[in-house]
Amino acid sequence: MPRIVVCFKWVIDEAYIRTGASQELDLENVDYKLSDYDRNAIEEAVRLKEEYGGSLVGITVGVPEATKGIKDALSRGPEKAYFINDASFDNLEPSQTATILADVVSSQIEYDLIICGEGSSDLYAQQVGPRLAEKLGIPCISYVQKLGIENGEIIAERKMEEGVEVVAAPMPALVTVVPDINSPRVPGLKDTLMASKKPVISITKDQLSQTYEPCLQTAGILAASMERNCVKFGGELEGIAGFVESLLKEGVIS
Amino acid sequence: MAGVWVLAENHRQTLELLNIGRVLASKLGTRLAAFLLHDREMAQEYIEYGADDILLLPSLPEDQSLDAYIPVIAEEAQKQEPDIFLVAATLRGKEIAARIASRLNTGLCSECISLTLDESGKNLEMERLMFGGAAAQKVTCRTRPQMATVPPRTFEPAVKQSGREGQIKELPVPPASALRVLEKKARAHEASDIREARVVVCAGRGIEKQEDMALVRELAEAVGGEIACTRPISEELHWLPENLCIGLSGINVKPDLYIGVGVSGQIQHVTGIRDAKVICAINNDENAPIFEAADYGIVGDLYEVVPKLIKELKGEK
Amino acid sequence: MDFKLTEEQELVRQNMREFTEKYVDPIAAEIDENSRYPAEVIEKLAEGGWLGMPFPQEYGGAGTDYLTYIIAVEEMSRSCASTGFTMSLHIGLVSGAIYNFGNEDQKKKFLVPMAKGQYMGAFAFTEPGAGTDVSAATSTAVLDGDEYVINGTKTFTSNGPVADIYVAFAWTDKSKGRKGMSAFIVPKGTPGLRVGEHFKKMGLRSSQTSEMIFKDCRVPKENLLGEEGQGLQIAMDSFDHGRIGIAAQAVGITQAALDESISYSKQRVQFGKPIARQQAIQWMIADMGTDLSAARFLTYHAAWLKDQGKPFSKEASMAKLFAAEMAAKHTSKAVQIHGGYGFCKGFKVERLMRDAKFTEIGEGTSEAQRMVIAGNLLR
Repeated sequence: MPRIVVCFKWVIDEAYIRTGASQELDLENVDYKLSDYDRNAIEEAVRLKEEYGGSLVGITVGVPEATKGIKDALSRGPEKAYFINDASFDNLEPSQTATILADVVSSQIEYDLIICGEGSSDLYAQQVGPRLAEKLGIPCISYVQKLGIENGEIIAERKMEEGVEVVAAPMPALVTVVPDINSPRVPGLKDTLMASKKPVISITKDQLSQTYEPCLQTAGILAASMERNCVKFGGELEGIAGFVESLLKEGVIS
Repeated sequence: MAGVWVLAENHRQTLELLNIGRVLASKLGTRLAAFLLHDREMAQEYIEYGADDILLLPSLPEDQSLDAYIPVIAEEAQKQEPDIFLVAATLRGKEIAARIASRLNTGLCSECISLTLDESGKNLEMERLMFGGAAAQKVTCRTRPQMATVPPRTFEPAVKQSGREGQIKELPVPPASALRVLEKKARAHEASDIREARVVVCAGRGIEKQEDMALVRELAEAVGGEIACTRPISEELHWLPENLCIGLSGINVKPDLYIGVGVSGQIQHVTGIRDAKVICAINNDENAPIFEAADYGIVGDLYEVVPKLIKELKGEK
Repeated sequence: MDFKLTEEQELVRQNMREFTEKYVDPIAAEIDENSRYPAEVIEKLAEGGWLGMPFPQEYGGAGTDYLTYIIAVEEMSRSCASTGFTMSLHIGLVSGAIYNFGNEDQKKKFLVPMAKGQYMGAFAFTEPGAGTDVSAATSTAVLDGDEYVINGTKTFTSNGPVADIYVAFAWTDKSKGRKGMSAFIVPKGTPGLRVGEHFKKMGLRSSQTSEMIFKDCRVPKENLLGEEGQGLQIAMDSFDHGRIGIAAQAVGITQAALDESISYSKQRVQFGKPIARQQAIQWMIADMGTDLSAARFLTYHAAWLKDQGKPFSKEASMAKLFAAEMAAKHTSKAVQIHGGYGFCKGFKVERLMRDAKFTEIGEGTSEAQRMVIAGNLLR
């Protein structure tokens, strides 16, 4: 009966990002969403709970206004949520997010399995899961496409470049999941309405054991050019070689 | 002691990191160290490719994965205090880089696409994409080592200089990781959902006969991709099933690479490939709209171009 | 004044969007093309608890306010106006009539399974000779012992071929004029009730519409909805509710038209630049966005009045009138923006244009709305 913790993040929906006149991002009218990969993480946690029993709690770090994100996550299955919040928890970098999560998880939550998305839809740094495992001193299994529990051990299929790697690790452990692992259910209306009634444990900055300074500093963010290159080559051997060379440079063939 | 460290789990990316590592080490006036996974014979070679030091990691038992090295690498980093530590952004590489960064309480720039030194010549300015590629973020790292994972082909491979000398240091055997590898399965080539495919080769009306689809298939195999088509191919000609039809009222794909073969580029089709990372086209009509929507195009008769292209691609492998 | 939706309302919108992206977007064009009723989507909606939204939980509903339900209809209509209409018809018009006028037994027997989506509803009101002019209706219901015997032909019955429960209207005493019509709950399979001609419509094609023929159709007198003679009042009240749904449908359709127009005009290059940089296109999009906002506010305001327990008949008609006419106008503009491509199958805007036309006609034409509004203003 695993006690499962699932991590989630409430992020800017990139579909709403507009570009200003000098390539700066216009975040004035953005909407927020539950990070796409976290939907898979929550779905997998729910699926494991359905299969093996146990409990499921969610945890997130963010600004106090992110309450809609908590409800969104809760509508997808967790029984309760830990909401570590502070007005300064906007734009945390991965090392901060991971250490803040570790602070609360290690002091307040009993767990056997932690599930994270492979990355977040906004930063997609893919660091929080592995860093959190490291801070907690537990095994980390990343890029998991199939997950099960056998004889008290986690059995996971990792989706690697060269194929599939099947691994086992004792619990407690942390896994990060890839989108292939499942197809998240759409919450029903009643799930959404129920979500507001589930308990949310709010943890403020002063309840953490220390403050966490960023390691990385963002020097600037600009819109990436989405224009196509429109480079044309001729059909002779030389042109074809140039074409292949371009694809190799792009890293899309090897 | 300072230094620039590079770590990649494969040969090609080791060379790429040695290249940028060499540039940075020279500018910083420091040494360049490369990790080498148990293949001692490669040590001298990597020195010739630019490394000053080789950090040789011992071989692992069959059931251990790259993560087992984390304690050994982190410990060595604590001893030597490198200034910069670059890791190839393979899947395993990204995981262990994050975990090493955590152990060292330092910052890590994930999938860094540009690495330069700032005006002081001491700090790295690193760029990466965020918001699903919509934005580029520039970061610096306040802690040391400054860590980054680097995607393949971000830099050219280093060039060999014979006669270079360097030192080899053997690192200790790590304790067994709690993670046990039970089985490895090579990727089977299966007809998967093309919405998930990394490479899509799409057949358009430029294909004249059904048997010529073999040519498109061959190209797809050469680039390790799945085959798809435009609406006329599935709806009118029935050469491929409907579920392989890209575009409006068909499916949308978002592969890393899309190659349209004889695809003219009607907007209904192009809308379904909008999210492809790189779009390529082969068409004999220089003014075909597909070229406006493409990153790279070849203007020419597909019946001449595709066989040559397959040959060229196979030659590369 | 507070123009802010609650977090719950926003989440409901988001969840409905997730629902449509997963289950409806992929089939919307196909069910339109084939005039196919998407039973599988209706089943999913039932599973998700979407088909009884505004009714109390004791009646199988979810207990949301009316505005939340209206937002769900809008969001569904943005993906598929036919399915949005099916929701609005089933919930706002038919189930609503039973909720508002049914007795406890009727609610238990009919509303509960309807709210759970086990039974779908239809509203058998319009007759071949009686559209806006209700007095021209000819269907009759005569009490014979413990049963009413209904005779007559209803037309344009949405959901006719697929419904399980019909709320049907007939004169019990035509001499009493407006007080002479009554409403009845008629379950599918009642002897004497049959589905007549299926209509082939230009828009809203996956919503099923047919004639319903009542020939000596006997229903127990317990199935009288409300009181004898209350029929017209029930119909008018139900249409007031239904019209907010049609307004929401028009808003959803126009939102889709705007989304499509923005995305297309940014992509489509003519004269060396995206057409979005042409003032002619910009003005169309500006007008579309402006009217859309106005229609949305009218619609939400009508729903809000309903939630406040205030009269909303005039506002529902205003919302429906304005939203429908702006939807018809702007979906046509959206086709214009798409040029020749918009006139062809394959782009969503041509479906939107056909669907939008329905909103000017269904559940009271624009002319009927003007009658209601003028009647209210000149009272």
